[in-house]
Amino acid sequence: MTHRTSLSRSRIAILAILSLAVSACRKETAVPAAANAAGAENALVISRHDDRIFAGGIAPPAEKVVNSVAQDAKAAEVGATLFTGMNCDGCHGGGAVGAVGPSLTDGRWRYGGADADIYRSIAEGRPKGMPAFGGVLQPAMIWRLVTYIKSLPVPKDVPTESWQ
Amino acid sequence: MHCSVTTLALSLASVLVVTRVSAQTAAADGDWTMPSKDYAATRYSGLAQITPANAKKLHPVWTFSTGTLGGHEGQPLVVHNTMYVVTPYPNVLYAFDLTKEGYPLKWKYRPNVDANSIGIACCDVVNRGAVYADGKIVYNLLDGHTVAVDAASGKELWMTKIADLAAGETTPMAPLIVKDRVLVGASGGEFGILGWVKGLDLASGKVVWTATNIGPDSLVLAKAGTFKAFYDKGAQLGQTTWPADTWKHGGAPVWGWMSYDPELDLVYYGVGNPGPYNADQRLGDNKWTASVLARHPGDGSLVWAYQFTPHDSWDFDAAAEMILVDLKVGGKMRKTLVHFDKNGFEYTMDRATGEVLLAEAYVKVNWASKIDLATGRPVLNDSKQTGASRGNVKDICPTLEGGKSPASPVAYSPRTGLFYASTNSMCMDYEAVKTAHLKGTPFMGINSPYHAGSDPNMGAFIAWDATTGKRAWTIEEPFPVWSGSLATRGDVVFYGTLDGWFKAADAKTGAVLWKFKVGSGVVGDPITFTGADGKQYVAIYAGIGGDWLLLSGDYKSDDPNDVREPADFARNLARHTSQGGIVWIFAL
Repeated sequence: MTHRTSLSRSRIAILAILSLAVSACRKETAVPAAANAAGAENALVISRHDDRIFAGGIAPPAEKVVNSVAQDAKAAEVGATLFTGMNCDGCHGGGAVGAVGPSLTDGRWRYGGADADIYRSIAEGRPKGMPAFGGVLQPAMIWRLVTYIKSLPVPKDVPTESWQ
Repeated sequence: MHCSVTTLALSLASVLVVTRVSAQTAAADGDWTMPSKDYAATRYSGLAQITPANAKKLHPVWTFSTGTLGGHEGQPLVVHNTMYVVTPYPNVLYAFDLTKEGYPLKWKYRPNVDANSIGIACCDVVNRGAVYADGKIVYNLLDGHTVAVDAASGKELWMTKIADLAAGETTPMAPLIVKDRVLVGASGGEFGILGWVKGLDLASGKVVWTATNIGPDSLVLAKAGTFKAFYDKGAQLGQTTWPADTWKHGGAPVWGWMSYDPELDLVYYGVGNPGPYNADQRLGDNKWTASVLARHPGDGSLVWAYQFTPHDSWDFDAAAEMILVDLKVGGKMRKTLVHFDKNGFEYTMDRATGEVLLAEAYVKVNWASKIDLATGRPVLNDSKQTGASRGNVKDICPTLEGGKSPASPVAYSPRTGLFYASTNSMCMDYEAVKTAHLKGTPFMGINSPYHAGSDPNMGAFIAWDATTGKRAWTIEEPFPVWSGSLATRGDVVFYGTLDGWFKAADAKTGAVLWKFKVGSGVVGDPITFTGADGKQYVAIYAGIGGDWLLLSGDYKSDDPNDVREPADFARNLARHTSQGGIVWIFAL
C-alpha cells in the first residue's frame, strides 16, 4: 500500500522536475518516455527534510509521518531504558550528553531534529559509525527512543561558554 | 659538535647499560625510525647539542597544519632526511623533504578509510604512528587495515585487512617490525571484541599468524613446552578464568606500544581491559586481559604472561609500553622490563621470566594496598571493588584514564638512570550496570565520573627510579598530562601539556628550562633528529584529543551540531585550547 503510494508520488515529482526543466530551457528536448517510465519504476521511497535546500524551491513530496507516542511520558521512560539497553549510552554518553557520538541534548542535529529524522538515524544508521538498529528494533520501540531523546532538556544558552 | 672526553666516556658507559639493541641504534641517532625510538622503547636519543645551558634558546623553525582535527597522538619518523607524518583519521601520510628550504612535501598518500571508524573508535580517531623498515613506511589505518608505502615514492606496496570494523575493531596502534614480521593489534575493548595480535609478512603483507590474548591455548598460541608463566600454573588459563564462553566477547585489545629483545627473541606488549566494564558478568581472573605477554615474533608462540590486574574491575588496561633496560635491582644486574600501569603501580620485572622484582605506586592508589611479590597479585581493598551488585562505588584512585595513560609513553635516560613519565592525579566513582553484547554497539555497562585527586594539581611530569620505586622529582601541572616523553644525551627531557605548552626540563633536577605555547593541547610524543645541516632538532605534534571520557568535548569547535558542557573536573581546559593538528619543529 505505502509502497504504491510513494511510487505514484515519485512519478508526480519527476513530472514536476521535468516541467521545470522545460520551462527553464524551452529548446530542451523531452526525456524519452521509456526513460521516464524506467526512472519511475526504480524510484526509491524518499523523505523530505525541511532543513535541506530544495532545488527549484520545490520540496520533494513526502508522506506525513507522525510519532504517535510524541511527548508521552511512559513512552519516554521505555525509551530511556532502551537507550541504555541497546548500548546507545556507550557512544552518546549517559544522558546523551555526547562522548564518541555527538551530544543529543544541545537541541542541534546533524541529520535533522524532526521526529522522523531521528527515527531514520536510528533505523538506517549514519555513515560515521552510527549503527542501523532497524534490524534489531521494532518501529514502535524506535519511536519510544525518539520520544526519550526529544524529552531531554536543552540548556538555555548553548552557544556561549564563558570564563569571566 | 661539542663533546668532551668525559661526557663521551659517560655516555658510552651508559649506552652499555641499556640493551645491545640501543647500542646498535646509537650509531644512527640522527634518525628516528620506529615509534619508540628503539626496540627497547627507551625514547632516548644520543643527540646532545641541546643542553640545560642553552635550552632557553630553543625557538620554532617550522610548522605545518596537518589539515585534520583529531587527537594528534604518536610521533613523526625521520629517515634519510625525510620526515614522515601520519595524521589521525583519515590517516594521510606526508613525506617532507628536510634538505630543502621550508621542508616541502615529496609526496602525500591518501588512503580510502571507512568513515564508520570515526564512531567505532572508542577514543577519538587517533593514530599512534608509523614504522620504517626495508624502504617501507608501514602503518595502520583506523578502519582495520595495515598498509606499506614505498618510502621513496609514496606508492602503495600492499594493504591488508587485519581487523573487523563491523565487530567493533579499530586499529590506531603503531606496528612494530622485527626482521620480516610486522606486528599489529586492534582496539575494541569497549565493543566486546576477542582481542588478538597478528604477525604479517613484511614483503607481501600476508597474515602469517594470529594469536588471541584470551581463550583456549590453541588460539592464544600457548604451546606446551614453550609457555611458562612465572606465577600461574595449569593450561587453558585464557579460557578457564572466564565464566562459560564470556571470553568470546571479553575484549583484550592491543592499542599501545610493542618492544623487542633480540637476545631473547621476545616481543612484549600490553593487553587492554576485559569487557564488559561490569565485572559481575565475568567472574574470574579474565586472563590475559590487563596483562603483559611475551611472544616469539616469528610464529607468535607465547613464552610467558603476567597479569597486572586480575579480574580488572576498573578498566585498568595494561596497554602501556614495556621498556627493556638492564637495571641493578636488589644488588644484582637484571634484564628488566619496566612498565607504568594504568592501575597506578610501576612494575620492574625480569623480562626473561615474568617475575615481578619490584612494584610501587607512582601516583595515589587505593584499590589495592600493594603488590604481593610472592604471588604477583595485588592485595585488594574490598571497599573499592566494583560490579553491578556493588552499586556506585565512590572515590577510587586512580581513574580508568590511568595513573599514566598508555597513550603517553615514558622515556628512559641511561645517563640519569631515571624514567620520565606524564601522570594524572584523579579519582573516580564507578557505577557498573548489567549490559548485553550486541555486535556493532558498545559493550560497557558503566557510568564513571572523575574528580580531582588529593594532589594540588591534576597532573604531573615526574622522574622515577625503577630500581627503588621512588620519585626523583616532580613538575606539577594543572591538568592531566597526556603527552609522551623524550630523553636526550644532552640531559634535557621534553613533554607537552593539555593546555598547549611544550616544555624542556633538566633531566637531573626537573627545572623547567623553556616552554612554548604550541596552539593546541599536546597529546603527541616528542622526537629529536639531526637535520641535513647537522643541527639537532626537536619535533612535536600539537592537537588535543584522544579520549572522550577524559576530554568531554567543549574544546571542540568543528561541528555546530555538537555542543557540549565542559567536564566537571576540568572546566577551564577549553579556555586554553581547541582542536587542530600542527607539526612543530624547534631548534637552538
